Amino acid sequence: MIKKVLIANRGEIAVRIIRACREMGIETVAVYSQADKEALHAKLADEAICIGPAPSQDSYLNMESIISATVVTGADAIHPGFGFLSENSRFAELCQQCNITFIGPDAEVIARLGNKQEARNTMAAAGVPVIPGTKEAIYDAQTGLKAAREIGYPVIVKAALGGGGKGMRTAYAEEEFEQSFQTAQKEAQKAFGDGTMYIEHFVQHPRHIEFQILADGFGNVIHLGERDCSIQRNHQKMIEESPSLALTAKLREEMGQAAVRAARAAGYVNAGTIEFLLEPSGKYYFMEMNTRIQVEHPVTEWVTGIDLVKEQIRIASGKKLSYSQKDVRLTGHAIECRINAENPSQNFRPSPGTITDMYLPGGKGIRIDSAIYSGYSIPPYYDSMVAKLIVWAKNRSEAIHKMQSALGEVIIEGIDTNVDYQYEILNHPDYLSGNIDIEFIEKMQGDMV
Amino acid sequence: MKLDNVFKKTRLPKRKNPGAADAARPEVPEGLLRKCNMCKAAIIAEDAKKGNYICPKCGGYFRMHAYRRIESVADEGTFEEWDRGLSTRNPLQFKGYEEKLAALQEKTGLDEAVTTGKARIEGTEAVLAVCDGRFLMASMGEAVGEKITRAVERATEEGLPLIIFTCSGGARMQEGIVSLMQMAKTAAALKRHSDAGLFYITVLTDPTTGGVTASFAMLGDVILAEPKALIGFAGPRVIGQTIGQKLPKGFQRSEFLLEHGFIDGIVERPQMKETLGRLLRLHNAKTPAGFGDEEKSRPCLKIPAGMDKAKAWDRVQASRKKDRPVGKDYIQALFTDFTELHGDRYFGDDQAIVGGIASFRGMPVTVIAQEKGRDTKENIRCNFGMPSPDGYRKALRLMKQAEKFHRPVICLVDTPGAFCGVEAEERGQGEAIARNLYEMSALKTPILSIVIGEGGSGGALAMATADEVWMLENSIYSILSPEGFASILWKDSAKAKEAAEVMKLTAGDLYAMGVVERVLAEPEEFTAQNIRAVTEPLGNWIEEFLEQYAGLDGEELARRRYQRFRKM
Repeated sequence: MIKKVLIANRGEIAVRIIRACREMGIETVAVYSQADKEALHAKLADEAICIGPAPSQDSYLNMESIISATVVTGADAIHPGFGFLSENSRFAELCQQCNITFIGPDAEVIARLGNKQEARNTMAAAGVPVIPGTKEAIYDAQTGLKAAREIGYPVIVKAALGGGGKGMRTAYAEEEFEQSFQTAQKEAQKAFGDGTMYIEHFVQHPRHIEFQILADGFGNVIHLGERDCSIQRNHQKMIEESPSLALTAKLREEMGQAAVRAARAAGYVNAGTIEFLLEPSGKYYFMEMNTRIQVEHPVTEWVTGIDLVKEQIRIASGKKLSYSQKDVRLTGHAIECRINAENPSQNFRPSPGTITDMYLPGGKGIRIDSAIYSGYSIPPYYDSMVAKLIVWAKNRSEAIHKMQSALGEVIIEGIDTNVDYQYEILNHPDYLSGNIDIEFIEKMQGDMV
Repeated sequence: MKLDNVFKKTRLPKRKNPGAADAARPEVPEGLLRKCNMCKAAIIAEDAKKGNYICPKCGGYFRMHAYRRIESVADEGTFEEWDRGLSTRNPLQFKGYEEKLAALQEKTGLDEAVTTGKARIEGTEAVLAVCDGRFLMASMGEAVGEKITRAVERATEEGLPLIIFTCSGGARMQEGIVSLMQMAKTAAALKRHSDAGLFYITVLTDPTTGGVTASFAMLGDVILAEPKALIGFAGPRVIGQTIGQKLPKGFQRSEFLLEHGFIDGIVERPQMKETLGRLLRLHNAKTPAGFGDEEKSRPCLKIPAGMDKAKAWDRVQASRKKDRPVGKDYIQALFTDFTELHGDRYFGDDQAIVGGIASFRGMPVTVIAQEKGRDTKENIRCNFGMPSPDGYRKALRLMKQAEKFHRPVICLVDTPGAFCGVEAEERGQGEAIARNLYEMSALKTPILSIVIGEGGSGGALAMATADEVWMLENSIYSILSPEGFASILWKDSAKAKEAAEVMKLTAGDLYAMGVVERVLAEPEEFTAQNIRAVTEPLGNWIEEFLEQYAGLDGEELARRRYQRFRKM
């Protein structure tokens, strides 16, 4: 069993992991950058060690420093949290070489799932639906038309070298195809000097649905149901909930099985997440697999009663899963809001600074994962998320009421936060009725203007 | 709120077998990490190895072992080692020296501080000598001197180019005067190699000092260096102690030498093989088959029709227009593989003159351009195209180099005049210009000069003592600027406009006077955007010129050039 864990992260997730370790009687080592000397994770851990200057590149991404810190403190495992080195296969490999347990999947599995094309192929081979698209590059509209017919409309034409929405056009029907293809190609030619195109099915008004899985080293894989993370701004999730209104028991079963197949196909061990796009029609497509603990893991913890971080540590210690699939039942409804130090009225500009005063809600069905405290200075170098507010209630509508009430109690002075913005979402008729997809925020912003 | 030591520590559970031996403890395996001796950071050894022995954190260069160096530049499997096993005879019978050498041989697997042989680099065969600093700081004893000399001699015999990667502390103390003699021995062998018309490149790596700097390191036709390498004769510590002063930052580093005109360029390791391959190819190329013998769409007129219509003053202004193409634009449009070579080998590297080797439709040529720069920042760096003596000396150095390889020289003239300033006079502006006229007049390789903008006085002539001089339609060429002319003759520089009309400085006037051979038409609103309108016909003319002159022998060229100016 792991006896001492070094947490290669900062902020609330580092605190979350330290707490799990404390409960399990495992010693903890925090690492911190020169800018994080006063950070909560560094204070709460049994030991703390400075690993470099403020920029992430020199500290939380500095593999050599973190490995050295682990060896020096005698920790036998590293928990990478999320972000930073959590999905860096090179880092996982280094841990292995230094006889340090990396709390996560094998380096090779991380590498394979990190490669978009390879991940897609693995999933397709395992019978997990992927977005249909051309495998070969398309150079002219005629060949493209044939391919589009096979894929099925609507389709999206994308430049091979594309980015930032340039060289991208959708076609909803065959009549539009040629025009769309040519416009996209011309744009690509102009922007990237290359007219190599790909065509894939255009997924309309999808929800972001992800499945949490747990897999041990003995071939046991279970899924812990879904999270609906459709409320996103610029691909950044803002609100997550479980279960999703969009899933029937049958669909949950089907997607859950697909997620389990996906994990098996990848040879996955530890906690992981399979992200899907779900169309209103009920068709779903594999997007990617995240090989780490997720920010939004608490909603799954609450509806299943399973402590994911503890399970991660147990699995990494070589233990069998404590649960089988039949033990997993989704009970009630959980919602998480991410509280960020940012100013929504200034295009969400980050708002670091000193928290002069704060008051956070509590009570039944309320959980707060955070790393801030009164007098704490949020450094400007890292992610702006400072807290997660999670609520649980019997059903969605009660959970929403609880979240509304809790958000109304959050007081953080000295910096700007997105609390009021979240409050607006929680009161939006479409959110209340569950009529959401990944374009929700964009639409809401549009309505506000 | 301060949170120091307020939280309770984790209460550890009682272990079942507290005495049981722990499973293997985490540890960093030997050799996985190493410390960068420049930034002091821990780095993954493998990353440095795969990344050309460059620190992934600070970008600093580690010293490279000789065989790794050879692998990094030679085509795979082509290296054939020469004279392995050759070692010193301990000429001073220095006590303990032989034991020391034996121990080093054992430790490094090297026989001496230099490894020599022959290899292909991007397909071109060359002799290679590579110093290895692990062996007594690659100091030069008789074995090093002998191995290098033998390699140079064999290169001369086989007619091969030579590349030496230097790295050395200098002379080898244990071998005393015999070590000193190696400097003369290697230099002498290199002189013969050069006299045979063969090409020699040195690549200076950290550190190159003492007797090696003062012999084979500084004798390359082209001298390259790795970034930030220490290069100097006397070591910085010795200099500092002797003069009792703090030395400037970057003193004796590659960048310092580049600025002071002693190296041709700094090449990063990832580009080293490609750079060497290109230089070797440019020195190995024969005139391409079919060069010049095809009927190209040549403009048949030697001067565009209707040249005398525009006012001279308008042409003066057109020649100075801010968006007119500059030297670099022509280099880009006319040549491929341009490799800039820097420095005059005396004092500095004048940015007002850009020179180097390039390929013109497959034929290697030396290109030298007076450069004004494209924007204000560049204008300032290039001193607005007004060369200093160092610029003319650089140009002459490159011309002499071209002469050695019988490579035609193409000069692009665009200067308001040679730089007029105190420093320029201190370093002999007049001497530098005179020297160019003198040497160019008898240079034994073809010279073509093209006036692309302003041809200002002696500053222009120092790059136009050529076999033929051509001008662009709106370029000018004159004894001095119209402003200067008006000021001297009429004591009023405001009369520049009138001066321009009487000075006969336009291309049309000069063609009529027989000062230039050809005039090339320009499009209206001539800028870098439409430079092809000029460079395409110009290219065909150049091909014709090279076809006509490249076959002539040096003496004949010098005789004709003499006559060209004798008539004037």
